This record gives sequence, structure tokens and C-alpha cells, in this order.
Amino acid sequence: MNTHTVKVVKSILANNDVVAELNRRRLVEAGVVAINLMASPGAGKTSLIIKTLEALRGRARVGVIEGDIAGSIDTEKVLTAGAQDAVQINTGGNCHLEANMIQTALESLDLSQLDLLFVENVGNLVCPTQWALGEQLKLCILSTAEGHDKPVKYPEIFAISDLIVLNKMDLVELVDFDRSFFYDSLKALNPTVPVFEVSCRTGAGIPEFAESLLKYKQARP
Amino acid sequence: MHEMSVLSSILEIVNQTAKEAGAERVTRINLVIGERANLVDDSLWFAFSLLSRGTLCAEAELNIRHTRLSFYCATCQSNYTPPIDNFRCPVCHQIGQITGDGREMLIESIEVAD
Repeated sequence: MNTHTVKVVKSILANNDVVAELNRRRLVEAGVVAINLMASPGAGKTSLIIKTLEALRGRARVGVIEGDIAGSIDTEKVLTAGAQDAVQINTGGNCHLEANMIQTALESLDLSQLDLLFVENVGNLVCPTQWALGEQLKLCILSTAEGHDKPVKYPEIFAISDLIVLNKMDLVELVDFDRSFFYDSLKALNPTVPVFEVSCRTGAGIPEFAESLLKYKQARP
Repeated sequence: MHEMSVLSSILEIVNQTAKEAGAERVTRINLVIGERANLVDDSLWFAFSLLSRGTLCAEAELNIRHTRLSFYCATCQSNYTPPIDNFRCPVCHQIGQITGDGREMLIESIEVAD
């Protein structure tokens, strides 16, 4: 019996990345900007989608893919709030979305009718960071109530995000959120990432965030 | 947390590579996993013991090499690998620039018998 070494040097998730690239091309060809929304449970993912829908009403057609372990509560909410189309993915216990789930979900959306597509990942700061879906933008939402130390505790998600939304700014004084600690550690991980400070409850900061998404889309017809 | 999902991706690639190389079985799988990849060795080994059954990898050794999150401090002109909860330079306590993100998830090579 002979043994020998075979060089592989391949990402463990190479097969997922192939499907993600197919999704990305399909979305780009259709002129749809897809945003992978990642955050812990309760940070305000669905609330941010709803507020953005309201801010962009009549100016952008927005679709939503909802990833949840179970249920379709969020899909109903975003459709009521004015989403052009929405589709639910139930992961059945999986802690993150994978590219093949998005591939299937895209089949049931009419991409020619959309400008923006929010993909709401499963509430989790760890697992979603490793599976590319085919999105153009990775967006991380942190709420002040979760604490200023999150970039230090969960560095990956803050390092790879293209946009950060800091939600629940109306609570900032009540929850002793140390902004300089947060920004110092965030800048170490991701020096140029834009941060939008918002409150989904009061609506503060939402127009600026929504405009920036619209501007990004308008630069990619 | 999601080691099962990761392990099935590993086995898919390794079994395919071994088949293409005409191997009878895989004796060793060499992985590179960053300390920030959020993968736990014990969970990987556990998932491997379950999922490798009946495949070319059933008797293979799963070998894991770790990489670390690393920074460069411009003030001290030195590299450092900080502890898990503090990115500051151990000498001057400023936060340096990231040089390695410690997120590697690679299959480096496999050893096969034919």
C-alpha cells in the first residue's frame, strides 16, 4: 500500500461560494441590490426593514427574504408595511442561511419588479458571517441595549460588514452604552465602515440610512 | 454551533478529491482553522466521527492547525497577537492595525492510500 499527499488548498465552504456567486450574478443582471442583514435576535432587523420601507415608499421597490428557524410572522409584517414581495425561508433549526436556500427563494421572486432585496438572516452574530449568499452589501445591526463590547466579543461580523446600523439610540443614556469604546474597537476591525445611528422606535436617523441605500442602488442601474 | 454543516462541506470536497486521485481511502485530512472562525475542535471531531462513517474518510485522522488574530502596532513597530477580549498593544495600549484576521477555514491537503 502506498500513501501520498494530495494538495487541496480550498476553502471549506467552496461549494457554498460557487452557488453564492451564481446568485450574485443573477441579482446584478436583474439590477437588484441585495443586502444581507445580520444581527442578534431583537436588535431590530425586521423593524429596520419596516422603517426603511416606509421611508422609501414610492421611490424604490423592495423585496424581502425572511430567514427564521420557524414561522412566517415577519413576512406578514413586511408585506403589510409595503414590501413589493416577500418570501419566507424556515431553516428548521439551522443557525444561518446558506447560498442554496437563497437560490431557491429567488425562484419565487420576480426580480424585474425589485430595486432592493433585504435578506434577513437568522438572528445570530456568529454563524451567518461565514456563508456568502450572493449579496452586494453585508449589513450588521447592533442595538445599544446589547452593549458597547460587542465588536470585541464578536469581531468577525463587525470586520466583514459594509454598513453598520447602531439601533435603539433613544436608549443610549439608559443602558450606559460607551460610544468611544464601541467606536475604538470597531475602527480597529473595520477602519472605514460607515455607521448609521438610528432609532427604529422614534424614526431618528432612518431617512439618512434609507437615502444611502437608494444612492447605492441608483449608482448601479 | 454549526460544525455539522461545516463537516459535511469538508467531506464533500475531500471525498471528491480522493476519488479523483484514485485513492482507496483517506488516511489524514489537514485543515487550517483560524481562532476567530468560531469552530470548536471537539465539535469538529465529534461531527467527523458521525459523518465520515461509510465514506473514504472513515478511518482518517482529522488534523487541525490553528491561525491567530494578529495586529501590527505602528508606534512600537511590532506585531502582536492579543487575547480574545482586548485588541490593544501589550506595550503602549493603543489599538494597532489588523494583519491577520484569524478567520481561515481551509482544507490544506489530504493524505491518501491507494
